[in-house]
Amino acid sequence: MFSSPISSWENVATYFTFSDSPTGIAISLAAAVGIYLMLNASIMKHEKESFDKHL
Amino acid sequence: MTVETVESLKATFEMHQAMNVEVFYWWCTAIMFMIHTGFLAYEIGASRVKNALTSGMKNILTLSVIIPTFYFFGWWIYNAFPNGLIPIDASAALPWSLSMGPDVQDMGTGIFFAAFALFGATTGSILSGAVIERIRLSAFLILAAILGSAVWILAGAWGWHPDGWLLTELGYHDVGASGVVHAVAGFFALGVLMNLGARVGKFKDGVAMYIPPHSLPMALIGLMMIIVGFFGFLGGCIIFNGGETGWTTIYGNPTNLSAFGFNTLMGFAGGVVGAYLTSREPFWTMSGGLAGIISVAAGLDLYYPGLAFVIAAGGGALMPIVGRLIEKMGVDDAVGAVAVHAFCGTYGVVMVGVFAASYPNVGELPDITLSGQLTGAIVMALTGFIPGWGISYVLKKMNALRVPPHVEVLGLDLVEIPAKPYPESLPAQAIVENTLEPGQEKLV
Repeated sequence: MFSSPISSWENVATYFTFSDSPTGIAISLAAAVGIYLMLNASIMKHEKESFDKHL
Repeated sequence: MTVETVESLKATFEMHQAMNVEVFYWWCTAIMFMIHTGFLAYEIGASRVKNALTSGMKNILTLSVIIPTFYFFGWWIYNAFPNGLIPIDASAALPWSLSMGPDVQDMGTGIFFAAFALFGATTGSILSGAVIERIRLSAFLILAAILGSAVWILAGAWGWHPDGWLLTELGYHDVGASGVVHAVAGFFALGVLMNLGARVGKFKDGVAMYIPPHSLPMALIGLMMIIVGFFGFLGGCIIFNGGETGWTTIYGNPTNLSAFGFNTLMGFAGGVVGAYLTSREPFWTMSGGLAGIISVAAGLDLYYPGLAFVIAAGGGALMPIVGRLIEKMGVDDAVGAVAVHAFCGTYGVVMVGVFAASYPNVGELPDITLSGQLTGAIVMALTGFIPGWGISYVLKKMNALRVPPHVEVLGLDLVEIPAKPYPESLPAQAIVENTLEPGQEKLV
């Protein structure tokens, strides 16, 4: 995916994926937040369906 | 020895020292997971069979929502709010900062983030036990994320930070987080419990009924596991500075693990003894170990061990009484979390003011005082209670806080969880009453 910000290990500091690409960081972070929110939404949906089913 | 050799040895020594710091907090974080193993067993055991797996699932997911939310905003809150409610620049702690990921040159940020994230997860687990058997999983996870990644860490920025205003203005001392973790989480739980209400059948004509845990032995083992995890928690409360400074508290005054060793053990023992004397009951007695440690945690670096034992015995002895008092007030706290954490956390902060007033802080910081500790205790209680009550009130008004009555009667496992905790066991009562479900009669 060409996500490496380094081409050698000489004098390296920050080296994580996309550390030279704000767009890559933004997309990864947005996806992480999205998964977290999806968990909450999924549990709410499951609860509603399950509670109604057992009425 | 040449200058080059000395420089080389110095660089090697400093690298190993930095690695030692990382290793220390790495293992503190790992041991803190034992707190959650313990809470898992404790809450499953404290639940009735029909709710056992839901309690466990709630506990597993607590960690899994607090860790990412602490990364998203918790670490930034800690670094941004030491002065109160006006943030200072802490852009390095924002999740898109280059400091918030692997960096060959940075051997501190990630490991401190990890330890603090686990402190936050502990607050979520404190709430988790209090609300078992009737809270919606969805509501709980929202509350846990807010408590674990915003509320307690705001209190931490104020009272558990080298520049926190409670320290710089009042000399506040809470080295083992009696206030910033336990009191905050306990009062948050109290606020939630007031809106959540009691379990069906808990009160009859205003009198509290005993709802027995389905596995008291499992709950007791869980509590002992939490004690093991506390050694990671309290180890994570000490600062490993390296260099000539060595160990300090988070407030910068010198201390060491030996001081913590004396008083953690004496606190545990005193708490158990105190709780046994006033309860004679295994659940409260084992909780007394927690209560004792929490009661002495704020002054863990200062107390004479004999005094720590006495303070812990006082906290342990009062805890069951406070628990029963809370129950008489109509609050159904299934595991006594308010008594253990809110009461003993507050008691621990105040005891530092009673027994350790006049101890100096470093530099120009004010000395420890009783008034400073009392003010700190009130701040911790309000910082926990107000958001706990307020957010759960909103969820209640949205009908999103509590499971419907028919679900509570059926049991949350049947409705929420596609699994059974003990699938091969027979419901003894069903055999007696001849109400076995289809297929179960073959097993008799």
